[in-house]
Amino acid sequence: MSSFRINTDRLLEVGLQNEKVMAIAGAMVAYTGTMKFEKSLLGGEGFFGALKRKVTNEGMSLMQTTGTGTVYFAHNAAEIAVIPINNEKLFIESSSLLAYDAGLKTNTAFAGLRGATSGQGLFTTTVEGNGNIAVISRGNLITLEVSPSNPLFVDPDAFIGYKGNIAQEFVFDVNWRTMVGQASGESYQFKFTGQGVVYIQPAER
Amino acid sequence: MPSYSQINEKLIEVTLNNEEVFAKRGAMISYQGTVSFARSFLGGSGIQDLAMRTVTNEGYALMVAKGTGKVYYGYDGLFVNVIQVNNETMYVESETLLAFDSRLRTGTMFLGNQGGVQGILRGAVSGQGLFTTTLQGTGEIAILSDGNAIGLKVTPEQPVFVDPDAYIGHKGNLTSNIVTDLNWKTFVGQTSGESYQVKFMGQGTVYIQASER
Amino acid sequence: MTIYNPGNLPKNDNLNRFAFVVDVAEEIFIRKGKMIAYYGQLQFDSLGSSVLDILIKQSFNAPLYINHFVVAKGRGQLILGDNGNDIACYDLDNANMTIKASHLLGFSKEVICQESTMPGFLTLIGNGKVIASSSGPVHFLGLPCRVDVQSVLGWADCPSPSYRYDYAHVTGVLSMVGAMTGLTLSGEEKQIDFSGQGTVLIQSSELELNGSDALAHIVSQLPNLSKSELSSLSGAVSQHMRG
Repeated sequence: MSSFRINTDRLLEVGLQNEKVMAIAGAMVAYTGTMKFEKSLLGGEGFFGALKRKVTNEGMSLMQTTGTGTVYFAHNAAEIAVIPINNEKLFIESSSLLAYDAGLKTNTAFAGLRGATSGQGLFTTTVEGNGNIAVISRGNLITLEVSPSNPLFVDPDAFIGYKGNIAQEFVFDVNWRTMVGQASGESYQFKFTGQGVVYIQPAER
Repeated sequence: MPSYSQINEKLIEVTLNNEEVFAKRGAMISYQGTVSFARSFLGGSGIQDLAMRTVTNEGYALMVAKGTGKVYYGYDGLFVNVIQVNNETMYVESETLLAFDSRLRTGTMFLGNQGGVQGILRGAVSGQGLFTTTLQGTGEIAILSDGNAIGLKVTPEQPVFVDPDAYIGHKGNLTSNIVTDLNWKTFVGQTSGESYQVKFMGQGTVYIQASER
Repeated sequence: MTIYNPGNLPKNDNLNRFAFVVDVAEEIFIRKGKMIAYYGQLQFDSLGSSVLDILIKQSFNAPLYINHFVVAKGRGQLILGDNGNDIACYDLDNANMTIKASHLLGFSKEVICQESTMPGFLTLIGNGKVIASSSGPVHFLGLPCRVDVQSVLGWADCPSPSYRYDYAHVTGVLSMVGAMTGLTLSGEEKQIDFSGQGTVLIQSSELELNGSDALAHIVSQLPNLSKSELSSLSGAVSQHMRG
């Protein structure tokens, strides 16, 4: 399996031994060794997968990198975090995905009505299997646990993704409305219950 | 000679002892002591270089800080990196250069020299000027980057391929080439996003930043 | 990567450079829009509700900014973040500290908050905690010093600063015109001058994403302008919008 390593917080170093890694188009900043770059059919989702993405508006423009050597990925000086997946399913906004092992399977999933203002669509991306995924965020990614005794409330602009047996609710709270800041137009928050982890970024989108 | 100290990733402190330091206009954050500022022009030696710069729009306004005290430099929340130059030539885009002093001799270099037609193509396509700034000698310089900058070592056995939009400079004995990768399949009509790369060969260091321009 | 839960979250401390956790036990003033996530039972009340009048009269004495803050209360862990900016907590010990208003994220209820005579800055006085963000890590400078206007994050325990203009190097008609109309001033021409004792907080200059504090200040001054001054202002605004 390829190795994912973070270099100075904002650069992802992927070591490949005649292996493949998927990344968002344009994210490669440098590499050594021999590499081949190909436009990908969305991580093996196939033609219908591509069509589904066009319909659901969960666009993902991906590139497959194959070869032996080290590839460096980065995106707009955003911080990068590596999340290992062990036979699990991760729900994540496609815009937060930087790179992932080609062996992982991606798909789209319905995420419920999240409102036009948040800029997030009705659908989100799922990544499952065994391997590493690299996620971008503004400020270092923070992992928060959700357990039955400790539900978690999150600002929609800070939300990146989650893993586990989690239910995502929308809370339209009169109290919350007073928290609406200048930049955000959010009049709701996310409430997570169940058992799992939620990933957030310390910034608004 | 002025000494450069990295305060944090976005700030450097230059200590002057009746000396001068050249820096990007607008980059002075703060100073203590008796320091005066004057305008200067990058151009190495003489009018000819200046003229070349004007023609090719590489005109660059510099400020020279003179006196005794400490001057703090930073720019627009970008990262600052202090690089040692050891009896070599450092190539850097003029807008990336934050500060340097008279220990290094400046000049401009026509990118075309390093690869003929491909050099010009590289300049025009990547949006960087056709000329780049050269600093030669032994000393230190401070450069800006969007996100951390890292230096990748280039050796004769291991060339390095770089996305031109992430490239900020290089030093040493390097030659460069444009490499185009024609091997992509397009199902939905767009390119892979990596239409060409720059290959660096020889002995030296290439500097890249964690973002595309 | 550490997985956090209410048990292991830092209390009133940084989670990482960009996030700060407030262990809410009593009321605290928090800037709107900077809340990232929270555990527990928390309530956020906007200032100006009559129930909080007593609290506001004593601590929050800055009407221009009242709409930017809320009072958080209840019990829980509140995580604050500000657009990827570094966050730090400052302990005031019978001291005063002035901070750029857009970077003030929160302060404890015993601290008194007033508008600084420098537009766009808030002064915090007394004892308690102040949470503020900065573009990159903050650096502390001793006095005397001169700082680029955009790089001043704030100052503590020192007299009010003044502006200093340095035109010694401005030559040529174009630069003079530019300098006089204020359109091309950079740190080398106009600086904030600090003299006396105290500490200055500086940061790498930043892109002003949201100048609503400056706007609030300008709007508040409009009643002081005469008709001819208002039309001058209108001209200056159109010129800036064109540029």
